[in-house]
Amino acid sequence: MSLALSTLIYEWRRYMAAVVALAFSGLLILAQVGMFMGIGRAFTAQIDRARADVMILAPGATGLGNGPSGVPRRILPTIYRHPDVVQVAPLDGSGGRFQNIVPADEAAEAQNPNQRTGAEGQGGGQQGGERRRMEFVNVTVVDPIPGYVTVPTDYSDELLEALRRPYAVAVDETALRRLGVQLGDKALYNGKTIEIAAVTRGYPNMMQATLIMSRDTLRMLGEADTGPRVGPLMVKLRDASRADAVAAQLNAQAGGQYRAWTRTELARANANLMFQEQIIGVMLGFSVFLGLLIGIAITWQTLRGAIMANIKEFASLRALGVSMPSLRRVIMELSFWVGVAGILAAGALTWGVGLLAGANGVPMAFSAFWIGMVSVLLLIIAIASGFLSLGVLKNSQPADLLR
Amino acid sequence: MTPKSTISGRHGEVAVAAEGLIKRFKTGRTTIEVLKGVDFDARHGDLTMVMGPSGSGKSTLIAALSGLLRPDEGKVAALDQPNLWKLSDGKIDRFRLEHCGFIFQGFNLFPALTALQQVTTVLGYQGAEKGEARQRAKAALEEVGLGPRMNQRPSELSGGEKQRVAIARCLAKNPQLLFADEPTSALDGENGQVVVRLLRRAATEHGAAVVCVTHDPRLEAWADRIIRIEDGRILEDQRRTPDPNATLSH
Ligand SMILES: Nc1ncnc2c1ncn2[C@@H]1O[C@H](COP(=O)(O)OP(=O)(O)OP(=O)(O)O)[C@@H](O)[C@H]1O
Ligand SMILES: [Mg+2]
Repeated sequence: MSLALSTLIYEWRRYMAAVVALAFSGLLILAQVGMFMGIGRAFTAQIDRARADVMILAPGATGLGNGPSGVPRRILPTIYRHPDVVQVAPLDGSGGRFQNIVPADEAAEAQNPNQRTGAEGQGGGQQGGERRRMEFVNVTVVDPIPGYVTVPTDYSDELLEALRRPYAVAVDETALRRLGVQLGDKALYNGKTIEIAAVTRGYPNMMQATLIMSRDTLRMLGEADTGPRVGPLMVKLRDASRADAVAAQLNAQAGGQYRAWTRTELARANANLMFQEQIIGVMLGFSVFLGLLIGIAITWQTLRGAIMANIKEFASLRALGVSMPSLRRVIMELSFWVGVAGILAAGALTWGVGLLAGANGVPMAFSAFWIGMVSVLLLIIAIASGFLSLGVLKNSQPADLLR
Repeated sequence: MTPKSTISGRHGEVAVAAEGLIKRFKTGRTTIEVLKGVDFDARHGDLTMVMGPSGSGKSTLIAALSGLLRPDEGKVAALDQPNLWKLSDGKIDRFRLEHCGFIFQGFNLFPALTALQQVTTVLGYQGAEKGEARQRAKAALEEVGLGPRMNQRPSELSGGEKQRVAIARCLAKNPQLLFADEPTSALDGENGQVVVRLLRRAATEHGAAVVCVTHDPRLEAWADRIIRIEDGRILEDQRRTPDPNATLSH
């Protein structure tokens, strides 16, 4: 093992500050990226698991739910006319006020500040103990027919059966707490009674909770689209592998009224949308800058201190004829290993934070690209710090050992 | 005897010779002359002791002789180099790497390295192959009596053992010039005796020119030659017959 690596391992305490600084610099960036990507993935989950092979959006739309949405109802039959198309259905949705229903007496108790902790201590069981909640929610519609184009691929038949009942809704498990409901509870949506008939998994609700309901239920609630425009169209093809060709053909005859996307095309566009937001770019840029600054400052000073602690040993090597460039190489190797340790620590830390966030309904997602980028950045920080601390080697004057 | 002792054939030849060494230090506005025209030589196979009161310039002298501290005036001829200080810094480093060993009062061992690694690291810089470096390092550690403690780190070694590791680190290089500055002053009598015997052996068996600065008059017993220096000038240069069986009493 080399001198640098042995020293780092044996005297790890000395280098701890640098490793921790690098770990937090990495976390600062990775946690944000992870959060944005997690949000982005929640958006794309819907697309990734859609049965539609082609989706028809308004001409200027840059993603599902971004830019102008919806198309004229008139184009529905034109899409149908394409020989490869077997199903076409508009996405429909709505949004409104959601309230949980709390039995009157327990509500009073829960609202009483003196006993609030006791009431919450029951953990929000099915029989109450919940506080009254009022949340704004999104509504997304499916046609609860097994295998239908609007039904996500991972919906079970039981889930669809539950949604076929009037006024039945499904919510994701990550939204239960926010909405203050349990499976089987009744609740109010825009003043009308609905029932939590199913709980989904894997559809995290980041900004607002989402209710899934059947098209019929939405109609009964009086909120279905009936006007001249409908939501984006979900199109199922006889042969999914023809998606590219069909999308191109549909686009050729669009006449500026719509734009057809293949599912993969749309998923990619949606994932990237998040990072095109200027504010996110600014935030990330600022974090990178901050991470770089703090990382270098702390790592540099730590390395300096650690080298100074061994300066006599370095001086004795100089006396024995080891050249200055050789000693510099030792320092650079040392800072490289500090960087590697920092990357590992950043990974562990981010993993922990990711678990914690996931458990609290903010799932994070990481891509190899960003992990690679942050690793490279941490390595750059470490090596730059090494460069900066080369100056202290001037203190390794072997003549000082002779006194 | 080991094959290392081949250079013992040069016993008695001059290994390092200095002429008219002058070294001044500036402190603030005043300049003090620490070496005032010193002529000095040391021979292969000799243990040359440099003695004198504190501040007389002993350490400065060996720093100038060994290529660590550039004198203001004077000339140092060392081994095959007629004028050491004419060389570039890189060449002086190279000269030290190839020919010089140093033993300091402090041991200056890397805390993270085992005794064996301390030695192999230096040999590695000298360009020795891994296997060869290990072999030479083991031999050197065995020579200083640390064979069984080879894999211990400095924190697990006594002061005397640490100094022996430092000596092994030099001996493994098979240096022709060995400089020691108060090598025993941080050690008790017994350990000091072990160290001075090792220096004695480096001179006798390996034919190195050993220059040892010391305050301790009891070390004189082992010396071939004693040079007394005072106030930057050599006062006395005395040759004597060493007593290899001398003991350091307290
Ligand atoms: N780098 C320096 N700057 C200024 N003065 C120095 C420097 N190095 C040594 N001196 C001075 O030079 C003089 C001789 O120093 P040197 O270290 O050679 O003495 P010494 O004989 O080794 O003494 P000791 O026995 O105490 O080690 C001392 O007065 C010291 O103060
Ligand atoms: Mg001295």
